[in-house]
Amino acid sequence: MSEKRSQLFGVMGEFSTPEDLVAATKKVREAGYKHIEAYTPFPVEGLAEAVGFKWTAVPLLTLLGGIAGGVGGFGLEYWVSAITYPENIGGRPLNSWVAFIPVTFEMTVLGASLVAAISMLALNKLPQPYHPVFNVERFALASTDKFFLCIEARDAKFNLAEASKLLQSLHAEHINEVKDEE
Amino acid sequence: MSAQEYKAPASVDRLQRGGWFFGGVGVLIALVGWMKSPAEFYHSYIFSYLLVLGLTLGSLGLLMLQHVTGGIWGIVIRRPLEAASRNIWLVLVLFAPVVMGMKYLYSGNETETGWLNAPKQGEHALSAFQQGYLTTNGFLTRAVVYFVVWILLMWLCNQWSIRQDQQGNAEGWKLRMKQLSAPGIILYIVVMTFAAIDWAMSLSPRWSSTIYGFIFVGGQAIAAMAMMIVVVVLLSRSEPYSGLITKRHLHDLGKLLFALNMLWAYFAFSQLLIIWSGNLPEEISFYRTRMSGQWGVVALMVALLGFGVPFLLLLSRDAKRTASAVSKIAIFMILMRVVDLYWMTKPEFTSRAVPSWLDVVVPIGLVGLWLGFFAMNLKQRPLLPVGDPNLWEVVPQNEH
Repeated sequence: MSEKRSQLFGVMGEFSTPEDLVAATKKVREAGYKHIEAYTPFPVEGLAEAVGFKWTAVPLLTLLGGIAGGVGGFGLEYWVSAITYPENIGGRPLNSWVAFIPVTFEMTVLGASLVAAISMLALNKLPQPYHPVFNVERFALASTDKFFLCIEARDAKFNLAEASKLLQSLHAEHINEVKDEE
Repeated sequence: MSAQEYKAPASVDRLQRGGWFFGGVGVLIALVGWMKSPAEFYHSYIFSYLLVLGLTLGSLGLLMLQHVTGGIWGIVIRRPLEAASRNIWLVLVLFAPVVMGMKYLYSGNETETGWLNAPKQGEHALSAFQQGYLTTNGFLTRAVVYFVVWILLMWLCNQWSIRQDQQGNAEGWKLRMKQLSAPGIILYIVVMTFAAIDWAMSLSPRWSSTIYGFIFVGGQAIAAMAMMIVVVVLLSRSEPYSGLITKRHLHDLGKLLFALNMLWAYFAFSQLLIIWSGNLPEEISFYRTRMSGQWGVVALMVALLGFGVPFLLLLSRDAKRTASAVSKIAIFMILMRVVDLYWMTKPEFTSRAVPSWLDVVVPIGLVGLWLGFFAMNLKQRPLLPVGDPNLWEVVPQNEH
């Protein structure tokens, strides 16, 4: 509406139940679309598979974060108690590994959970104050009780009329074009 | 849905026959061992008995837990849990040899007397309280109380469940079972603590630990959950479970097994940490016998193979969701339960950690019997709790 150039981002269908969304998502994938994204107010079982989501680096990074935390925690205690400040405490060995375990455990959890949270945000490119789908007014309902499926324009197969027709045939309740304002 | 459906498949018959076979052969060979060397037999019997006790009571505990928490994981294993809890009758019968072998179990070893033969006075006497508490009559009377409590909990959970199937009023029975289970879990843990003290901790009456019962409860929960995973995977190979069990169910059960493994390790490590740090002569004896010499190797096995390896394997989402993988991990964990109980009890009798042939035969015999009776129990009822108001979450076409 302004002088800003607006570009088509995709077309989005709205559904009332998670089951409808999952069923529609599967059909859209079967129709050959690759660049699709679903938006829901809560996690929906089976949706990730339906969208074609296969692999994420978060588990691996979390594992590495946990290992780093654990090794770091144990290493710190070992370094302090056995190398830099060797003290004879009640005749116990300098490397009192049993006593080091609680800190090692806590540092493992800390490392794993920090990496999990941060890598999840980073890989999702969050926080993201602007996204083209926000331009659709009804999209606000994605955080209350509606389920959205967006077929993105960058998909090689994308054609606005056809994609809209497909969503219509899948009983999407509202179909909106998503514009990206540059 | 009529109760005729969800009948146990042929694989349960095979499990029953296999259980009877290994149980029968194992018991016969064990009888030979009993005649040749009763002491060795009872030393093998006590940890084997604690294993089948754990499979049974762990199942009772998980059964009550799923009544309290609800959830789909509980619905798919509820009937197997009930069948396993009904094995308490078998466990009651199998307690007879423990009573018969008391003098071989609770009379100490070469260096120390047990509570049966401890001197009444002098340096090696037990405390006045222990002399009054650890008596043959007290031991037997308390055992009766333990079994009455367990059997009562088992009986109520099973009876109410079958009435829920047959009489309707599903929500009412659900609430009743929930109200029984919440205090039931506490009762089970308290009673199990006393039983663990009587039957296992009193093998070395001069040593004590307050978290001992919890270590047993944690181990029992692992044994039971691992067994349930094996059973569910077995059932999922044929009708009627084949169409119902999905990766999601296995994932839930696998996650619980993972959590229980950590819980048990937490209890076991807490005891080690406190006793190791305190380093007091009367406390450290437990770990001195178990963490040095040959038993030290077994201790490492319990820590690394019993906790470490399952922990790492169960971290993987795919491992938990793949039937063949998660069932193999579960079987391995049951095996490690045997090693753990062996390590908890056997060092009281000998410094030799290499198992005798009875240490192999007796657990096989008892687990065989347990599986045989379990399979028999499992066939008595529909494989799914057909009266459960949330059954539709597992069987979608039941939705109304």
